[in-house]
Amino acid sequence: MSVLDDLFRRVPALLMARRNLSRNRIRSGLAVLGIIIGVLAIASLGMFGTTLRTGATQQLGDIGNEISVSPNFQEGIEELTERDVDEIRRAVTDGAVVPVRSESKLVSRGDRQTVTTVYGMEDPGALYEAEEGRIPDRLRQGALVGSGTAGLLDVEPGNTISVDGRTYRVSAVLAEQQGISLVSPNNAVIVPVEDVNGTGYSQVVVSADSGQAANESAVAIREALNEREERVSVFELQSITAGINEFFGILNAFLIGIGSISLVVAGVSILNVMLMSTIERRQEIGVLRAVGVQRGDVIRMILAEAGLLGVAGGVIGAILAVGAGVALNAFVLNDPLATFQAANLLYIVLAVGFGVGTSVLSGLYPAWKAANERPVEALRK
Amino acid sequence: MNHIIELQRVWKRYDTGGEVVEALKDVDFHADPGEFVTVMGPSGSGKSTMLNVLGLLDTPTEGTVYLDGQDVTDLSDREMTVHRKRFIGFIFQSFHLIPTLSALENVEMPTLFGDDPTARDRATRLLERVGLGERLDHRPDQLSGGQKQRVAIARALINEPRILLADEPTGNLDRATGRSVLDLFDEIRREDDVAVIAVTHDPQIGDYADRTVELIDGRIQ
Repeated sequence: MSVLDDLFRRVPALLMARRNLSRNRIRSGLAVLGIIIGVLAIASLGMFGTTLRTGATQQLGDIGNEISVSPNFQEGIEELTERDVDEIRRAVTDGAVVPVRSESKLVSRGDRQTVTTVYGMEDPGALYEAEEGRIPDRLRQGALVGSGTAGLLDVEPGNTISVDGRTYRVSAVLAEQQGISLVSPNNAVIVPVEDVNGTGYSQVVVSADSGQAANESAVAIREALNEREERVSVFELQSITAGINEFFGILNAFLIGIGSISLVVAGVSILNVMLMSTIERRQEIGVLRAVGVQRGDVIRMILAEAGLLGVAGGVIGAILAVGAGVALNAFVLNDPLATFQAANLLYIVLAVGFGVGTSVLSGLYPAWKAANERPVEALRK
Repeated sequence: MNHIIELQRVWKRYDTGGEVVEALKDVDFHADPGEFVTVMGPSGSGKSTMLNVLGLLDTPTEGTVYLDGQDVTDLSDREMTVHRKRFIGFIFQSFHLIPTLSALENVEMPTLFGDDPTARDRATRLLERVGLGERLDHRPDQLSGGQKQRVAIARALINEPRILLADEPTGNLDRATGRSVLDLFDEIRREDDVAVIAVTHDPQIGDYADRTVELIDGRIQ
């Protein structure tokens, strides 16, 4: 309490402001409520956006870490050669390089059969994980079956399948891949690379450890292979994730924009409250001016009132917003602690700043009006 | 000259939508330190306008105002406010205390916006002097009319003014309470050498005054 008293003695405008606000508690309370709703709207809509983005990123998984290099058909290049693959390997410093051949073939087991994509890969372990069985380090014999095809043909590891008449023992059934992938294994069969016709490769998949590394690899591959002619086209999934991120940025701005409207409404209500209370206190303000209080001090006093309303509303609104964020993240992401991240902190600071700013801005006109009234007029009964 | 305040040939005209009202007509007036002057006259005679001009709340249309020998007619709002704070104490008919502040805080109020470490002590002593030493922490609505006017007088004295301007100081008080307030004025002007100028209808103030000036239709009679 003594700290507060000390503050009031130092900043008399605050003392007067606090006393004036306590004069009509319901009115002050309602003005604060407006700011609380505004701050809560901005902060929680911002956090809602963050939660959406986090959820979407989780769904997308690591696709931003992969790039696909394919021959540039427009220049008449139909496949990638061993030399190209070597150059790609040299360009990629950080990540696995998996050359892929693909064809559509008839796959059968017993009396069940289907036409599906067959990928020839040397090192499928760099891209996929097994659900049942084991993926060998280098695929020299045997086949890996995607989960969809496995379900269709009722295949387990150890079974044999026939691909275009050739018989393979199934080493593993691959785990179903969620989200988007460059070479989706779900409805495919993977066999040793030599078993697929052709000398070159239809595409080379590079799997890096991070989106950043994938991007650097893409740049390096373009430099190495496309120096003289546009031999390859490099497709980065990061461009998709960047697009998605951008979309969520726009969505967030849109949500915050909606939230801001409520804060503007709150600002108008503060303007109204302050205007009413300064009109009611005309005579008092006239007395203040008569006994030697300067215009600037009157302005400071009324701005302090508006500022106090804003700070009170902002603080309560921020606390409620954190509560709402924790509830939302617990519900959507099953991770209430996801609320406490830098982006959300920014939204809260932004919302409180907006709240206080709106309040003070709304106090400006009433303050100016009160300070510029001639004391003679104000004191007239 | 030793007049603390002086009006020379002061005119005040108001333009009220095409019609010009002359509230003060060629008024010459002065008051000396320690003097108790009453200004009497019917309502609408320009008494309040004169008090406002004396209190640097309003500027005359024509003529000159001297405060402690200095021409203060054409000061800026800021300078007028500074001079009001330094030279003039106001007392109003309806007291005009701030309802949210205690008696002590009301007395301190004119010093509140400014660094004045001794203000609290001065305010306490002034309230003791006007007989309210026991009621420092009372809010105005816990005080009687006479007590409120005493708080207002203490407030007017906090900056040790040279002039007290009172607008119907006994107007809202019963006769006995009015007398005790006037006794207080009498004491202040004697002990503090303050000029007291009171605008009033109340004939009993005349008993206390050194001099009575009558104002009718904006002219001093």
